[in-house]
Amino acid sequence: MNIDTTFWFFDRIKEDNLCLLYNGDFSDEITNKLIELSEYNITNNVNSLSKMKKKASFLMAECFQNIVRHGESIEGKKFATANEGFFLTKNWQDTYYITSGNLIENNKIEDLERQLKKVNSLNRDELKVLYREVLENEMISDKGGAGLGLIEMARKSGQKLEYVFNEFDDKFSLFYNQILLKPSTEEKNCEDNCSFEINEAINYHKEMIAKDILVIHKGDFSQDAIFPVLKIIEENLQREKNDVVSKKKIFHILVELLQNISKHCLKEGNKKEGIFLIGRSDNYFTINTGNIIENEKVKVLKTQLDYISSLNQKELKDLYLSKLRERNIPSVDGAGIGLIDVARRLISPLNYSIQQLDDKRSFLSFNVIA
Amino acid sequence: MLATLEFKETRDTPEVLLDKKNNQFKIKGNSLPEDSAKFYFPILDWIQEYIKDPNKSTHLICNLEYFNSSSAKMIYQIFIEFEKIKDTGNEVKISWYYEPDDKLIEEKGQEYQSILDIPFELIMSK
Repeated sequence: MNIDTTFWFFDRIKEDNLCLLYNGDFSDEITNKLIELSEYNITNNVNSLSKMKKKASFLMAECFQNIVRHGESIEGKKFATANEGFFLTKNWQDTYYITSGNLIENNKIEDLERQLKKVNSLNRDELKVLYREVLENEMISDKGGAGLGLIEMARKSGQKLEYVFNEFDDKFSLFYNQILLKPSTEEKNCEDNCSFEINEAINYHKEMIAKDILVIHKGDFSQDAIFPVLKIIEENLQREKNDVVSKKKIFHILVELLQNISKHCLKEGNKKEGIFLIGRSDNYFTINTGNIIENEKVKVLKTQLDYISSLNQKELKDLYLSKLRERNIPSVDGAGIGLIDVARRLISPLNYSIQQLDDKRSFLSFNVIA
Repeated sequence: MLATLEFKETRDTPEVLLDKKNNQFKIKGNSLPEDSAKFYFPILDWIQEYIKDPNKSTHLICNLEYFNSSSAKMIYQIFIEFEKIKDTGNEVKISWYYEPDDKLIEEKGQEYQSILDIPFELIMSK
């Protein structure tokens, strides 16, 4: 992942009120936080959907359980444990999308596809009948699936389940499914009005795998929204590295960069919008952030950032300490000390880019490795 | 007597106890509020009152797990206020605790130690 990766994603999801992409481990702790984050976003950003918050949470939980239940472990780097998978939740206009992806053995595809076709062929009442039938009669499969999850997803979403099988290798495929939540209850066929194709989500996942990206989050960066994100990262860090030093360092860099976005981004409405990406490599984490700023702020910012980037470790420390001792009180607009402290903890100078979008706005991105 | 100031720990603010009567002073936990001035102003106000008539010996215990950079500035302000107790002829000391493998908090403690003119001890938690 390099500095341009940020805009690649941002440009594709800029119309979304929220977009969370996750490519990693699915423990209970993490799935709970993903749900918490989505609930927060639904409550605060999607008025027309706030009544559906419970339903969305339920559907997400079902997706996660599918990943954990059906996800296959595989030797190799990308999917180290059975609980790894892909998850996307996005809100565009008044529609909420939930997409999940997990590995499945090729010889199990036929059976799963049969179940999916069956579920998709039924209307609301027929689904209810099938649900009761399965509940009462069918044996529970060895992984506890019994098709109930799929039936429930179709019932709760009121939409057809969209799905794709993508070959991974000669033994495994990636199974993706997508559900939509809309404020209206009428049943809509996704093919007619689906503005966001499941294939687009699959493209994102491919890009995340290729670039070793763990999390991408585009949305509101106010404190309440940041917290679940931080917890998700913290949980992942605990799994990835036993080293407390780097764990705390990454957490610190993330807090500073996210609060920086919250403080300095161009506020459109009440929202403090930005995007961040976290990638992993063998020994380091890469963190990218991006947000919109006003063109008139670019010149001053550039001077400050070039200055910080030009300093060596000793000079950064001295600058940090002198800022610490300045007798001004940190305003909500920031203490001017955060980025200096971030730069002190990187393995290479603070990398940033500013690209002009139009005559009012520019896109500021950071790319840091620690 | 100056009333005790007590804040319970929250998701993004630390536990704070400033108790003149029982001579207990501590700050503990996480500090990463977005608006750190808002959280720390009442604390600074309290200390400014306290140093007008401090106890004979004041010992501040800092046991921070994590703090952001804007909190770092406010914590420095707190230390600066405590430093003034020396001018009143009374004793003051700060103990800074850090976990054995927590380089970040240890380093932050060393930095404060280097720029303060006050007994400041670094203690590795057991």
